[in-house]
Amino acid sequence: MNAVAILGILVGLVAVATVVGVLWQRSNGHVREIDDASTVISVGELNADAVAGRGATLLQFSTEVCAPCRTTHQLLGDLATELNGVAHVDVDVSHRPDLANRYNLLQSPTTFILDGSGVVRARIGGAPRPAEVRAELDRILAAA
Amino acid sequence: MATAEKPLPASKQALLAKEGQPGIDPRGPRFGAGITAVLVLVVIGLALAGPALPPETIGARATQPAFILLAAISALFAWGAFAGIRRHPYGLLFKKLVRPRLAPPAHLEDPKPPTFSQGVGFVITFAGVVLSLVGVPYVLLIAAVFAFFAAFLNSVFDYCLGCQIYLLLVRAGVLGRGTRAA
Repeated sequence: MNAVAILGILVGLVAVATVVGVLWQRSNGHVREIDDASTVISVGELNADAVAGRGATLLQFSTEVCAPCRTTHQLLGDLATELNGVAHVDVDVSHRPDLANRYNLLQSPTTFILDGSGVVRARIGGAPRPAEVRAELDRILAAA
Repeated sequence: MATAEKPLPASKQALLAKEGQPGIDPRGPRFGAGITAVLVLVVIGLALAGPALPPETIGARATQPAFILLAAISALFAWGAFAGIRRHPYGLLFKKLVRPRLAPPAHLEDPKPPTFSQGVGFVITFAGVVLSLVGVPYVLLIAAVFAFFAAFLNSVFDYCLGCQIYLLLVRAGVLGRGTRAA
């Protein structure tokens, strides 16, 4: 293969990788609402110390090799402290394939937003966007 | 969690290295991933410039420039994965050449996530090295393309490969079966 063609392929690879990176950044961390109320989670079953919030619970699934899980922990913890009736529960699933399978976890962090009855109302893959989490919590708390 | 003397922004607090554990400058691994991205791009270029089908003998396959460079990159990944990211040569390079020119880091991070990424890089590149040595066509190129995407996205976009694949490996039963790490 000649030098010009090779250079073209290399530049193309960098371009494709850049597009992938931009798309990933755009799609990551959005709140996806779940319409059917079929999944109910009692957080006490996942973590003996966990207490669900009266109004809503931010249920975070983390792994030990995940730096954004730490920032997410802080973000959601702060939200739970700030907002009345909202609790934050962080479950480490590094060694829990059973939970990863049961809730179809594909990446960490993955966050579920549960309403006061434990029904999963929304799901977030990746580091959550604070404004979207607030909006969803407002919606859930208003409906309660 | 370690309490710093000056409170950090909340988003940074969470990344602090655990108490009693030396942390790393979070810019170090991204700097290293940048070097890796450039090197694997060179591997891809060399592989494209070389013969389309693998040479007949093991000796000839092992002395192709693309093979030698990918083997060296793979060895560097192994270094990071098994000796820990803190002992990686790119980390030392970062400390000597880059960090003195930057402001001191606002915080230090847990080395576990980037060490895991080094392991992923090692598995991908080592598979490419071994299979191409055996004579499987195109694997060197394929491994280099995978490694390029991972290193480039990590370096430029702070993409966390471990976050995306760790749980898939746990679910596949490859990881996470053992007892909980301390």
